[in-house]
Amino acid sequence: MVQTVRTVVIEGEPDSIEILQKLIDDFKAEEEGPPPDFVYKYDRLKMRAPALHFMSMSIFEAADYDPIFVIETNFDGLDGPIWAQLEAAIPSLRAMLRCCKRPAGPLGDVYDAISYRDSIFPLAPYLEAHMVKPRIFHLGNRGLDRTRILRESELFVACQDELMNAETRNPNPYRPATASEIHQRLRAALRPKFSWLDEPASPRIPKLENLTDRLRLIGLVLAVLLCLSIPGLLLALVSHSWVAIAISLAAAAMAARAIGDLGDLRQLIPKSASPGGKLKATIAGICGLTLYVLVFSFIGAAILALLTPVTFLGALKANFIEMLKAALLVLAVGLFSVLAILWWLRRLERRDPSQDEPPINDKLMREILKSEDHIVQNHMGSLVLVKPGALRAVLIRIGLVGLGLLLRVTARDGYLGDMRTIHFAHWALVSNESRLLFLSNFDGSWESYLDDFIEKAHSGLTLAWANGVGFPPARFLLLEGATHGRLFKAWARHSMTVSRFWFSAYTEYSVNQIERNAAVANGLRRVRFDNAEDAKTWARNL
Amino acid sequence: MTSTDVLRPPPSDIKSRIKAWLMNWAMAHVGTVFRLLRAVWPIPHFGKFAAVTRYDDVKEVFASNSKFSVTYQAKLEVIMGKPQFFLGIDDDAQHNRATDAMRTVVRPADIPVRLVPAVLAAAEQAVAKAGGRIEVVDALVRQVTFDVLCDYFGTPDPPGADMRVWATRLFEFQFADPGNDPVLRKEVDVIAPAMQAHIQNLIDERKKSRGSKDDVLGRCIDKQAQGEPGFSDDDIRSALIGFVVGGLPQPPMVVPQALEQLLRRPAILAEAQQAAKDNDDKLLAGYLFEAMRFDPLAPGLMRIAAVDRTIAAATPRATKVAKGTSVLVAFSSAMMDERRIPEPRRFNPRRLPHEYMHFGFGMHTCFGIHINQALLPLMLKPLLKKDKFRRAPGRAGHLTKRGAFADTLSVEYLP
Repeated sequence: MVQTVRTVVIEGEPDSIEILQKLIDDFKAEEEGPPPDFVYKYDRLKMRAPALHFMSMSIFEAADYDPIFVIETNFDGLDGPIWAQLEAAIPSLRAMLRCCKRPAGPLGDVYDAISYRDSIFPLAPYLEAHMVKPRIFHLGNRGLDRTRILRESELFVACQDELMNAETRNPNPYRPATASEIHQRLRAALRPKFSWLDEPASPRIPKLENLTDRLRLIGLVLAVLLCLSIPGLLLALVSHSWVAIAISLAAAAMAARAIGDLGDLRQLIPKSASPGGKLKATIAGICGLTLYVLVFSFIGAAILALLTPVTFLGALKANFIEMLKAALLVLAVGLFSVLAILWWLRRLERRDPSQDEPPINDKLMREILKSEDHIVQNHMGSLVLVKPGALRAVLIRIGLVGLGLLLRVTARDGYLGDMRTIHFAHWALVSNESRLLFLSNFDGSWESYLDDFIEKAHSGLTLAWANGVGFPPARFLLLEGATHGRLFKAWARHSMTVSRFWFSAYTEYSVNQIERNAAVANGLRRVRFDNAEDAKTWARNL
Repeated sequence: MTSTDVLRPPPSDIKSRIKAWLMNWAMAHVGTVFRLLRAVWPIPHFGKFAAVTRYDDVKEVFASNSKFSVTYQAKLEVIMGKPQFFLGIDDDAQHNRATDAMRTVVRPADIPVRLVPAVLAAAEQAVAKAGGRIEVVDALVRQVTFDVLCDYFGTPDPPGADMRVWATRLFEFQFADPGNDPVLRKEVDVIAPAMQAHIQNLIDERKKSRGSKDDVLGRCIDKQAQGEPGFSDDDIRSALIGFVVGGLPQPPMVVPQALEQLLRRPAILAEAQQAAKDNDDKLLAGYLFEAMRFDPLAPGLMRIAAVDRTIAAATPRATKVAKGTSVLVAFSSAMMDERRIPEPRRFNPRRLPHEYMHFGFGMHTCFGIHINQALLPLMLKPLLKKDKFRRAPGRAGHLTKRGAFADTLSVEYLP
C-alpha cells in the first residue's frame, strides 16, 4: 500500500500561542491518560486514525515570523481520508485552530465557519487547504502498511515464543533441525493463529508505482537537459559553424578554470567503487552523452524542418552533418551553461555567511532534550530560512525534487545511503517557500542519528540543506557542508523546536526490526523452501 | 382511505406505472450518477435547485442550519396541527430546548434494559413462528418495530385502525412525496386528524390513570404534572406523533435493504452470521450499517437556502446559491466519497463512525440515533443465527421496492 507524507502548516495568532501550547499539552496528557473507555496510551488516536504511522504537533517560533503551528502526518493511503480521521480523533483540534490567524481571502470565511462558538463545520477541508506536500520524503519501510507492520511484528514475537518454549522440551525439536525443517515446524505451529500466512503478501512497490517513479526521474532529467540546451538551440538557429562550437568550448573551459576547484567533484565518486564499476560508470557517461547529442540533434532537425519548407525526414537527410554540428553546439553551450551555473554557485558559496555558533535558547533546549530518548524512536523538527537569490531559488527546487525522485528510485529497501534508521522523514518549503521545514521520525538518539547522517549520507543531506541560511560552508551544494560535524550539529539544534505532541503507532520497533519481521513473515508465507541456502538466509532472521 | 395496506398499491394507469418504473430505475442507479457528479460537477446547480455530493459539502450544509433550513414545517403542520415539533425548527436554542426535554423521557438507559431485550424477544418469536420461511419487511422488521416501540412510546393501535398504515402513509407524505400526490393528500387529510385525536385520547386517558405504566407517554404526563416546560398537551401530542410517524416506518425500509446487500455478498453474509452466532453485537452492527451504506434510507435530504451562501468556499468547486434555492444534501453520496472515505466501494464492517451519515449530521441528526444503532442489527440477529439461511426461491427471495419503501423480501432457514 502507498504511504503518504503530508504536513499542515498554519500561522498561529501570537497572543494565543500559550493557549495553543496548553491545548497540545492537554491533548498529549489525555492520550497518555488514556481517555475514558480506552485501555492503553494513545489507543483513541490509534483507533480513530487507523491509517496513521507517525504524527507530531509542533509550534515553531522565530524572530522574523509569527509562530507557525505544524501538524505532521505520515499515513497509509492517499491524502483525503486522513483529515476526516484527525477531525474525529482530536477533540480539541477545533480549539487549536481557533488559536491560529484568520487567513485572508475566501479561506477567511471558512475560518469563521469553523471557529464560531459551538461550530460543527467540518475541519477536514480547512486542514487540507493548509496542507503542504513534501519536496523530498524518505520511507524506511516502504510499502508496509500499519496493519501489516503490527501483525508481522506479532508473528515475529510468536516465533520467538515458540522457539523459547521449545527450549523447555527435551529434546528441543528445533535444535537438530535444518533451516528448512525449522521453517516447516514453525509454519505448522503458527498457521492456526495466523491464518493470513496462507494469503500472498501484496507487493510493496506495485509495478505502476515503480514505473511512475522511474519515468518521473527521467522526465526531470530530460527537462533539466532541455532547459540547459535552450541557449544552444537558439544559437544554432543563427549559426552552427565550427567556429561557434569552438568559441563555446573555449568559454566552457574558461568557466571551468574560473571555478578553480572543479576537480574536487571527483570526491563524489564512491571510493569503494571497483575498477569494473568505474569502467561501467564511464561507459554509461559516454552513452548518455551520445544519446544527448543524438536526441538534441533530432530536436534541432525538427526545429529546422519546421522553419524550412521540407519534411522532417527530408531536412534530416539533407542536413545531417549540419544537424550534428548543431547538436555539438548545443552540447558545447550546454556544457558552458552548466559550468557558468557552477561558477555562479561557487561565487555565492564563497561569500555565504555561515553560523558557527548559533544562539541556543536554553529553556527550549531543555524541553527538547526532555522529550527525547523515551523509546527506541525519536522525533526531530527543524525550520530554517532559505538563502535568497534567483539561482538559489531554482537550485533548491530542482535539488530537492531531483533528490526526492532519486530516493524513490534508489532507496527502496529502507536504506538511505548506509543508514537504515529512518521511518519517515521529509523536507518541505513553507511560509510562501521562504523557509525549509524538516521533520523526521528515526531510531536511536538524536546524536547518533546526526552522526549517521554526517558519516553516511552527508552529500544528500548537504544538497537538501545547503540552501538554508547559516548552514556550514558547502561546495557545489554537495561537498563538505554536513561533514563539518560540530558546526552542523550546532546549526541543526539551533533550528529545532520541541515536538510537543508526538505519536508513533509502533513504538517498540526499529526500521531494521520491521524489515526483519517482514522477512520472517514472507518466509513463513511460503509452503516450503526449495533451496537450502534460501532457508538458511531466512532462518538467520529468527 | 383508498387502502388499508401498509404501502399504497402500485399505480394502475400506464402513465403512472411508467413513471414509477422510471423512478425505481433512477433510484437503483443514483449511486453511479453521484459518482460521476462527485468527479466532474460536485455541486450541480441550475435555477433554484442545487445538490451537494461530496462528503465535505454535505457536512457543511448539514452543519449550517442557520443558512440552510429544513423543509418539513409545512407538512408537519398538516400532520400534527400548529404546535411545532423539533424536526421543523431551525433555531438552535428552541430546537435544543425541545429535544432536551424529550431526552428526559426517551432515556438512553432504556435501551439496554428494556428495548434490546424486547426487540430480541419479538424478533426471535417472529422467526420461530414463521417456521423456516419469513417475509422480512413486514412479518419481521415492521412487526417488531411497531410492537416494541409503540409499546415503549405508549401509542397502541387506534381503535379499528392500524398504526402501521397511518404512520407509513403520513411518513410518505412528509418525506417521500416531493410531487405532492393529490391522492395521497386525500388520505392524509383523513389520517392526520384521526391520528391527532387518537394521541390526544391516549393523553387524556393516561392523565386519569397516572403511573399505571412506565412508558414515554406516562413519563410525559408526570413531567407535565410537575410543571416542567416542554410538556403541554400540544408538546406531548406532537412529539409522540413525530416519533411514530418520523421514526417507525424507517426500520422496515433500511433493515431489509441491508439484508439484501448482505445476501448479494455470500462471504460477507457468512461473516455477519458468525458475528450473530458469536453474540458479537458490535461487529454485527458493523455489518448492518456497512450494508446500509450500499443502499441507504434515501439518496439525500432537502434543505432550503435561507440566505445567499457560497458552498465549498475557497475551493475550485465553490458555488454560490441564492436564497430560496432547494439543495439536495446527498448523504448517500457523501458516504461513498473517496476523498474522505477510505476505499468506499469495499465492504468493510469495521469502519469508523464518522464515515457514516445514516442518521444525518448536525442539529437535525436523527433523534432516535442511539435507539436505531442498538436495535436495527438486533432485528436481524435471530434470523442470521439460523442455519441454512438463504434467499427464498424465485422472485420472492429478492428485495422489491414500492417507491421509496422496501416491499417484500423472503428468506428461508432451518427452523
